[in-house]
Amino acid sequence: MMMEINDRDSQDSQDDQEEFDPMAEFGDHVEDAIFSQILEMDESEEEREFSAPLILGFFEQATETFDKMQVALNDGNLESLSSLGHFLKGSSATLGFNKIRDSCQLIQQYGHKLDVDGSAVPDEQLCLKYIADALEAAKVETEELQKLMRKFFGQPAEC
Amino acid sequence: MAPSQPLPPAGPNLDLLFDLAPLPLLVLSPAWRITKASARFLTDWRVAAADCIGQELLPFVRQQLHLTRPSHLAYLTSSIDDAVAARAERTTDPINTTAAVSWRARVIPVFNGHELLSILLEWSDGPPPTQTEDDPAKPGLSIDEAFRIFVQGVKDYAIFLLDTKGRIATWNAGAQLLKGYKRDDIIGKHFSIFYGREDLDINKPQMELDICLREGRVEDEGWRYKQDGSRFWANVIITAVYKDGEHVGFGKVTRDLTERKSAESRLIAAYEESEKLKYDFLANMSHEIRTPMHGMLSACSLLREMPLSDKQREIVGIMDESGQVLLQVINDILDYSKLTSGHFSIHSDVVGITSVVTSVVRTSQATLPPSVHFELFLAPDLPRSVQGDPLRYRQILQNIGSIRVQASVQSEDDASYKILTEVIDTGIGVPKDAISNLFTPFTQFNTTTVNRSQGTGLGLSIAKSLAELLGGTIGYLPNPDHQGSIFWFTARFKKIKSLDQMQNWNTPSPAAESPTSPAAERSMEELQQELGALSSTKNLLVVEDNLINQKVMMGMLRTMGFRNIGLATNGAEALGTVRSKPAAYDVVLMDINMPVMDGHAASKAIRAAGIYVPIIAMTAYALKGDRERCLEHGMNDYITKPVDREQLIRALAKPGLRR
Repeated sequence: MMMEINDRDSQDSQDDQEEFDPMAEFGDHVEDAIFSQILEMDESEEEREFSAPLILGFFEQATETFDKMQVALNDGNLESLSSLGHFLKGSSATLGFNKIRDSCQLIQQYGHKLDVDGSAVPDEQLCLKYIADALEAAKVETEELQKLMRKFFGQPAEC
Repeated sequence: MAPSQPLPPAGPNLDLLFDLAPLPLLVLSPAWRITKASARFLTDWRVAAADCIGQELLPFVRQQLHLTRPSHLAYLTSSIDDAVAARAERTTDPINTTAAVSWRARVIPVFNGHELLSILLEWSDGPPPTQTEDDPAKPGLSIDEAFRIFVQGVKDYAIFLLDTKGRIATWNAGAQLLKGYKRDDIIGKHFSIFYGREDLDINKPQMELDICLREGRVEDEGWRYKQDGSRFWANVIITAVYKDGEHVGFGKVTRDLTERKSAESRLIAAYEESEKLKYDFLANMSHEIRTPMHGMLSACSLLREMPLSDKQREIVGIMDESGQVLLQVINDILDYSKLTSGHFSIHSDVVGITSVVTSVVRTSQATLPPSVHFELFLAPDLPRSVQGDPLRYRQILQNIGSIRVQASVQSEDDASYKILTEVIDTGIGVPKDAISNLFTPFTQFNTTTVNRSQGTGLGLSIAKSLAELLGGTIGYLPNPDHQGSIFWFTARFKKIKSLDQMQNWNTPSPAAESPTSPAAERSMEELQQELGALSSTKNLLVVEDNLINQKVMMGMLRTMGFRNIGLATNGAEALGTVRSKPAAYDVVLMDINMPVMDGHAASKAIRAAGIYVPIIAMTAYALKGDRERCLEHGMNDYITKPVDREQLIRALAKPGLRR
């Protein structure tokens, strides 16, 4: 029985090394558990024929969404901002991109004139300001993440 | 005394003497033939000598006297026989005639030595015959008088009459013995003198008379007081008495039931004592048994976590399962004794019918072999939350819980819902002769066949009592479509009046569980294998508006072996797809927040279209109540976003896919 336990432990630590080392660089940009699930869907770790185009697709979606957000921000359209925030929050959460997800959550909340805790923020201008900040942060985070991903997948990911 | 002294010859003097005697006389030959009759006899009997002399006695008498009873003729024959045998005179009993007179005959046998010469009958008037001669009340006693004496003499009952005002008019021996009052002391007093303070305060005596006048009679049991102030437990019957249609008073009969009453209360006390002892014993015992049982089961589950060989694991499994069954038996017995002794309490809490039902289904599923297919249909109009006892509702369902569950609102009024829950199975069914005993405690109908269901036979009777406690009923029907059964029960739940009231319910509903907890007991590998075997033949529909999420879902599902995955980008599209091919999909994975039509609306519409494909909601809101809202809108389960692979596997490995 002892043997079995030892075998398991060593196996686990091997697994850990394989999965966690390349991901350590992502830091708090990425939720390991979720992102590794995405990576597990690849049939080959070299090809990454599932995850690579998916991540590429996400950055395209993100850029498009940021553009739409900018337009809505200029129009002062909180409702549209909230729904766009929700939209990108969904996909970033699915991939485990925590930072972008959190910024999108802010945009969604302030679009509803609420803060993160759900308390009302009646001042629309204030909401728009916070959204502008969050959008800016999201763009920066996306750019940083994109670099990390490019490195991870070992190929140029164009925006 | 010379035996054969010759008689002097009968001279005309003697004949004349006989004739003129002022007595109705007959002389008979030894063969009872009339040989001579006196003039007085002929006059009294109004008969001619020619019709009389030479006649046989008995036919003559029968013809002459119109007897009230033919048997009276026997008085005559027996007296004559008797007189002849005794050689002495005899007098008959009165022989009654319909002419309201009776006759006696003095029979004088005349012997010469041993030879019977003749028989002399001397007739005389008997007492006038009475009509009541043969009634139990002997002659001279009228019916009224008989009853009066009877009532007077009865000692075991106080029987007396009251006048119309309630004053005592008569008094019998029983009344005197029972109440202690002498006749002279009590006549004319009002009968309320027998009543105690409490009864007088509520004006009971007059009430009784009023009721009696209205209903004709009144019966009461209670304390009544004697002259000496002591009391006795009385049964009182008062009857209104009418004469010629006019109310003349009341008849009152009082019985002393003190003995019976005290015997009764001794019996009740003994019964209650024994019930309490039984209940205490059961409660103590089950507590004593449960505590080590829980210890054993916890040890079992710890053991299961350790690395074990397959054989060992199997044995631990048996220990665990048997322990669970034993625990269930103990709980059943305790519940049953609580129910029968009235110790069972019903709590009031918020009940999410949908979540209770879903949770029971999930739990049951885990205990059944995978070959058993489970479906859950929740009526679209089920209320989200109601007020009642979630635990008891759950218990009923678990007790009848079987293969297919269906819950719907049966009726609804302003304050409450009556929820009908049906459990339909295609199992072995119930034989006709066992149906009447289904809900009887400690009976199990199929004791002969090898039966997997161990138990006390209490399950259904507990369910019955509980359903009744919840204001509902329970029943059984044979499954009309297949072999098998339909068990149904109704339970009444209060409506929750307003949202404020809802929010005041801080206590979490006990049925609200994490969506994956029971299935977590099964290992991931097992579930994955199971799913892998099924997935390639299954058709899924993913409803998701975000392209990235779509891709990830598709990717995840493909790795689980699903090949046929449809896609819809919003609720309206999903509704269209499902409607056009109602039987095409085995499971729908439904995002909630979508443009055009959201997941709630889409699910509601799908159910409204009568399509019961399992729908699993995918929602980013992990708040309490989300789950209820999903279930309320007709969805079967929900998983949180971002979708976790394991959670998805668990959700998909559930009943919906096991067709």
